[in-house]
Amino acid sequence: MLQRSLGLIVLLLLGLTLAAEPGQAGGHTLNILDRDASAFNREVRGLLAWVMGFAALVFVVVTGALIYVTVKFRRTGKETSEPEQMHGNDRLEVAWTVIPTVIVLIIFGLTAQSMFKLDRPTPGAMVVEVRGWQFWWDFIYKDHGVRNSNELILPVGKPVRFEITGGDGANYDVIHSFRITSMVGTRDAIPGVVTTIEVTPEKVGTYYGQCVELCGASHANMRFRVKVVPQDEFDRWIEGAKAYQATTPTDPTLLLGEELYKQQCAACHALKGVAQGLPNNPDLTFFGNRTTVGAGVWPNVPEYLEPWIKNSPGMKPGVKMPAFPNLSDQDVKAIAAYLMRHKVEGLDFSKLEKF
Amino acid sequence: MGFWPAVWDLLTTSDHKKVGMIYLVTSFVAFGLSGLMAVAIRWQLAGPEQQFLVGDAYNQMLTMHGATMLFFFIIPAGLAGFGNFILPLMLGERDVALPRINAFAAWLFVFSAVLIYTSLFFGGAPDVGWTFYYPFSRTTGLGTDFFMMGLLLVGLSSLLGSANFAATVYNLRAKGMGLWKMPIFVWSIFATSMLSLFALAGITAASLTVLLSRKLGLTLFDPTIGGDPVLFQQFFWFYSHPAVYIMLLPYLGIAAEVASTFARKPVFGYRFMVFALVGIAVVGFLVWAHHMFTVGESLLFQLVFVFFTVLVAVPTGVKIFNLLGTLWGGQLDFKTPLLFVMGFMFNFLLGGITGVMLAVVPFDYQVQDSYFVVAHFHNVLMAGSGFLAFAGLYYWWPKITGRMYPEFWGRVHFWLFLVGYLITFMPQYVLGFLGMPRRYYTYPDGLYLWNELNFASTIGAIILALGGIAWLIAMVQSFRQNVKAPDNPWGGYTLEWATSSPPPSYNFAVQFPTVFKSERPLYDWEKEGLKPTPVDPATIHLPAPTVWPFMTAVGLLITGIGISLAPDMGNAAVGGVAGWGGWLAVGLVLFMYSLFQWALRKEYDHPVVHHTVTGKSNAWVGMAWFIVSEIALFGILIAGYLYLRLTGAAVPPEEHRPALWLALLNTFFLVASSFTVHYAHHDLRANKFSAFKFGLLISIILGAVFFLFQVYEFAVLFSHHSYQEQLWVAAFVIIVGLHGAHVLIGGTGLALAYAQGLAGKIDSHEQGTLEGSSMYWHLVDAVWLFIVTIFYIW
Repeated sequence: MLQRSLGLIVLLLLGLTLAAEPGQAGGHTLNILDRDASAFNREVRGLLAWVMGFAALVFVVVTGALIYVTVKFRRTGKETSEPEQMHGNDRLEVAWTVIPTVIVLIIFGLTAQSMFKLDRPTPGAMVVEVRGWQFWWDFIYKDHGVRNSNELILPVGKPVRFEITGGDGANYDVIHSFRITSMVGTRDAIPGVVTTIEVTPEKVGTYYGQCVELCGASHANMRFRVKVVPQDEFDRWIEGAKAYQATTPTDPTLLLGEELYKQQCAACHALKGVAQGLPNNPDLTFFGNRTTVGAGVWPNVPEYLEPWIKNSPGMKPGVKMPAFPNLSDQDVKAIAAYLMRHKVEGLDFSKLEKF
Repeated sequence: MGFWPAVWDLLTTSDHKKVGMIYLVTSFVAFGLSGLMAVAIRWQLAGPEQQFLVGDAYNQMLTMHGATMLFFFIIPAGLAGFGNFILPLMLGERDVALPRINAFAAWLFVFSAVLIYTSLFFGGAPDVGWTFYYPFSRTTGLGTDFFMMGLLLVGLSSLLGSANFAATVYNLRAKGMGLWKMPIFVWSIFATSMLSLFALAGITAASLTVLLSRKLGLTLFDPTIGGDPVLFQQFFWFYSHPAVYIMLLPYLGIAAEVASTFARKPVFGYRFMVFALVGIAVVGFLVWAHHMFTVGESLLFQLVFVFFTVLVAVPTGVKIFNLLGTLWGGQLDFKTPLLFVMGFMFNFLLGGITGVMLAVVPFDYQVQDSYFVVAHFHNVLMAGSGFLAFAGLYYWWPKITGRMYPEFWGRVHFWLFLVGYLITFMPQYVLGFLGMPRRYYTYPDGLYLWNELNFASTIGAIILALGGIAWLIAMVQSFRQNVKAPDNPWGGYTLEWATSSPPPSYNFAVQFPTVFKSERPLYDWEKEGLKPTPVDPATIHLPAPTVWPFMTAVGLLITGIGISLAPDMGNAAVGGVAGWGGWLAVGLVLFMYSLFQWALRKEYDHPVVHHTVTGKSNAWVGMAWFIVSEIALFGILIAGYLYLRLTGAAVPPEEHRPALWLALLNTFFLVASSFTVHYAHHDLRANKFSAFKFGLLISIILGAVFFLFQVYEFAVLFSHHSYQEQLWVAAFVIIVGLHGAHVLIGGTGLALAYAQGLAGKIDSHEQGTLEGSSMYWHLVDAVWLFIVTIFYIW
């Protein structure tokens, strides 16, 4: 793969041949040129091949000339006369104006062609509204009326159209920028503006998403995940999500969790059947299906979830959720357990390969 | 000279060499400072999940690193620093066109840096990135206010400095030196000044509107009332892309001078080099939106900008090829300046190539705001322009300080910078492909190769820091060894080498031959046996020292602190000793008092006769160029208004719209005042002093009447409408209000000339203040006619 070889070349140059294996420590292997992930990436690869070809040509010519000049025309101190006082050469000037012009015009043509191709809307694409908030993401399946925060589940092989904005049209947020790194290019999430980008995911897996426009203290902690799953799994998910209705638990811990949720969380966080919440805070309805907590930052396990509930500002600077020093460890465990209970049953998104 | 006399000399000087030193010292100190910030940033990113600089602290650090490097090192070092010191010498002149304005601009520059750093004492540095995107920049702490105010002041400084350069190149050249015989460095400063004057309005508009939105809730960008946040980015990049060429062109000039001198050859393709400079300057204006490919503009809009973006690579390439041609066949003496030029050529080539890659929009979508972009712009700015700043520093060090520098430490500096640079930034290109976004204070463990590449990058930053230490050693050793520099240590060909090192205050005590065969006068004169004829230094008169330009800048600094501290929307005011009203009052009083004192202090103690190339006065040419920037400022804001109006976002209110009859009455006052100023000027030239004073007084009164009517009009408007709720009203208040501010500024200019008239300090020969302010007054008049059309009639 291009990125891997590029990476290795640089490492070799630096003499740091560290044994770095992809997916080490269970991480993602991000690659903006992953050809299997989408047609978008393949298009970019094709374009880059051309550009890199011209780049190599220019690089070799200029660097070659630089090296030649350095070696050949070095002053020896034995010169008896001054060098030839050459003031220029019009033919050369024309040549090194015209040739680069031709090259950049070819690159322009190829770029334009690609842009027209990528700009064509795909008929029948599923529409997902993406809202950027400080410092998390909200996804709304417009065709299905389902809302899910910080994680997006998509069917493989089906075109999807993202409609991206900052805030929700009533509450505006700062500008963010939406990128599913190994899958498709970036679009900004601008308050009052809707930008769009389309992609057809082609490879099942977990994709890493990021905010790429500086938006505040936790800009670096504004991530998300996209789960690309087979069509039947997606259908189960979306049908389950549409039909989802929270039920009252019987287990005493969970009952305590529900009570605390209603007291402490419900004013802000929506939970279908329990709380309306507010649009400018994450929806927690399918929390049990999530693989991450804190907007794609930590794995969704009690080890991270519990301290997050108790003291999120201590973990993520600038986060709007307050700390809850009044909650006992038991209370926190109860809320965590209660949250994990809410999910569409029979789905496990944690085993997907990471890209 | 003792210490305090030396300080006093510095505060009162208008010597272009000392002014150049103010810029050079400030900008290289700024380089060192923000270099250390860069090391701090890399320290935080050396490994995953570090705790050294977290969240907002990191954002402050990256903002100050970027802002300091750009606004206080790379823009001023070449243009204002070397430009001020070297350009008049290269032109064979004794001074710049507007020496006191120039000194004022230098102090304003220093104080704008001081102002931005003052924020550290009032709750923290700006943390919005040097790009300060709206609405993010509306939501942050007081640091952003200081940043906006600092940008406004540094912008004004830059405009005055650029107008001075333009007037100098236009008006002051050694007799016989035609435009096509100017050294390439002079051309590069000239082209850069043009760029500044045309483009700077963009950042003035951007920072002004952000400041107004923070202080008054007055904005064109607020989506809740139909404004467009993307419009902010159009304003911002309209300056900030051409600014990239402001950061480059002076250095390309330095590269050409160094290459020619150390190859013992003339520059290759002189005319083509100039065409390329101008070409870059022109095409550079049509590429700004390539910073905004991901904001979702239309395909056609994007394609236009792709076209010009790839096209600008052509003249840039021509510069590189011509530099190669200059070196080709020479006898290359690899002293430190030439090494830095060679390093520049290699690195700039990489930066150029990756720049074209970024113009390939689908790829740009992928790497927008990633480390690929970080590596790219450091490639062109740090290893490009930055390397050439050091080429210039070593090249002119003997001329400026009068001492040689130790070649060994210069070389060590270069190699550590080159190697450190490559190890820092090459891994960042790869990180771009691996999806690492910029401006992230942390990253998780386990992402493929991120740890290793980031660690390598940090090692590189440490090597760069070692290079910085080698640089310091080179400078300190130069002073300690104290090896006296000859007049022309490198065998340079241009006129700065035709005087002692360092040059005397009057630069040259000779009359140069008037035959200029090429851009290399020293070479040509030696071949033809021409020699300069000595002049008695006692017959040379220089501008008299005065402290008032400095005090005027101090006044603006204090005013700036006051405005920055004024309460933001929704934030409580800073009270107590730091009360904003006190700062503001003291600042304004000091500013006005100093300004009048300055106007009443004659430029020369001895009557002197000015010879200018164009025959126009320096004040006239300087003001003419300055006005370009004012037109651009109104042009940008009005373009923004037209866009909002034509898209249906800004709709004039049906009821209680500002009245046309009042506007027409005001038009009468303003047009009448333009005529009275014109006749007053006429009377002055005819030595009719009382008629002149009377005409000027009438003009000032007419201006005051206009202003009072406008205050009335605004009061009426605010009683019916809220600019926080209606976009059209906001646009009206911003643009018409800005015009009102210009009436105040212009009126102050006329008042200065009037005060000169009362004090008998103005006559038909020395009338620069009146010339400048009457031109400015006509501009205010012309802009008003335009405003009447688009706000009152339409």
